[in-house]
Amino acid sequence: MENKIEWANKMDEALARARSDNKPVLLDFFNPG
Amino acid sequence: MDAVTYPDARVISFVNENMIPLRVRFDAQPLATDFNVKWTPTIVTLDPEGKEHHRTVGFLAPEEFIPSLLLGIGKVYFDTDQFDAALANLEKLLSGYPKSHSAHEAIYLRGVSLYKKTDDPKPLKRAYEKLQENYPGSEWTKRAYPYRLL
Repeated sequence: MENKIEWANKMDEALARARSDNKPVLLDFFNPG
Repeated sequence: MDAVTYPDARVISFVNENMIPLRVRFDAQPLATDFNVKWTPTIVTLDPEGKEHHRTVGFLAPEEFIPSLLLGIGKVYFDTDQFDAALANLEKLLSGYPKSHSAHEAIYLRGVSLYKKTDDPKPLKRAYEKLQENYPGSEWTKRAYPYRLL
């Protein structure tokens, strides 16, 4: 089992995976601090 | 989120199994402007075409974050008239996280989804009754108030 969230960092890549896997996208706008 | 919610094993498992996680800086352009981001964390649920269906702003602990994501997934399906899939996610939310803040909206949306699926208005009245019984002060109870007459 994974021990962290496997974040993508590019929208086009995330949407391509979402269409391929038929899953919604969780988009997190974060402040690296 | 990085200290508490994202390292949580339940969150990791849920996100990796059910969603495509995408993380960008709050000032990343053009996304920050396109999504009108004003504060962090801003967390948005998108369909595979990139359309927004659900948003939260501010920290959520794991026991609120997972049901919020289930609500977002349910809204993706509800907004695209896929009511069986919407209902499956809403039922997961309501059975697993009945005390979460997202449960209020989920009860409302479950009633609407059942109505739109069947044309039977009884689920709308049941949604109001459930909300009134369990969350009498909720904004979703107020939104369902007219359904008491059905």
